[in-house]
Amino acid sequence: MVLTHTTNHTYNHPFPTVTLAFFLRYCSPQLNPFASHVLSTDTISSHVDPDTGRLHTTRIHLKKSRMPPAVMKLLPTSITGGTTDKASYILETSVVDMREGWMSTESRNLNFVGALSVVERQLYAAPTEAADAGKTDVETKVVFRSRLGERIRDKIGHPIQQSTQENGWFARLGARGIQRSIESLASTKTLDQLGKSREGMRIILEKLRHTGIIGVLELRKRARERGMEAI
Amino acid sequence: MSQSLAKQCNEVKERYDTCFLKWYSEKYLRGAASAESNECTTLFKEYSACLQGALKERGIDKLLDDAREDNKENDATFLGRKKCQMRIPGH
Repeated sequence: MVLTHTTNHTYNHPFPTVTLAFFLRYCSPQLNPFASHVLSTDTISSHVDPDTGRLHTTRIHLKKSRMPPAVMKLLPTSITGGTTDKASYILETSVVDMREGWMSTESRNLNFVGALSVVERQLYAAPTEAADAGKTDVETKVVFRSRLGERIRDKIGHPIQQSTQENGWFARLGARGIQRSIESLASTKTLDQLGKSREGMRIILEKLRHTGIIGVLELRKRARERGMEAI
Repeated sequence: MSQSLAKQCNEVKERYDTCFLKWYSEKYLRGAASAESNECTTLFKEYSACLQGALKERGIDKLLDDAREDNKENDATFLGRKKCQMRIPGH
């Protein structure tokens, strides 16, 4: 089963600023109030391709309960560990091409992938029309895929392995029905989150417009110092 | 402030992030970056060395390998299709 959702949006900010906001979007809840669910962000690789001049970056984010609680409730405890409040590791890869004026990004969850894999791909591009200068278009495509029970279904041909608890659970509810429910629940939640993530980008873009990157870095530094005092 | 996955890497991560954001906005976006040399490379090496242990400890290195495998499989599945089927819930 696969569920795909595509949306388009235009930011009223120039392409370079939008790409900077992308890298800054989880940098501080003071900068982006919609990022409070992001527990950590780490860069695991970053390099400029000498042939193309493209910047390739890989980051790992730890986010609170990426799996919608309703989905967690559908899953057997053998998969969830009995909790509905788990954090997910998100792998984010991005490529920026300043010469050609585009940025492509991909985010995917690293854990629970068998139950639900969510892959979000975005393409940011400077508009080709001169009248749209200073704007940035973004196309977002999210693919939801649940493979829950697929391996177990494969086993059904082997009667010896049929008596496990999971087999009983899937046989009762129907793996396909469960997969569809998971994909559709996740998609509804993600649509809501897309709006929030766009709003977060907008707030950062406004701050960049008013204070520039140095101002934003200063704000980030002050927020960190305040955080340290609080400890 | 967004933290590092590993507390012990917070300080070097912070220095690297600041360096990267400055380099990105002042050099890369202005077309003045060179692929070979980058003032953040040394900081990145330090940060990366700190992070490696944490990635291993939490099994993230293994998850990354799985994601790469999964990617290959997805590419094989989706690139073969002419057009992805689209369903927009609530529309």
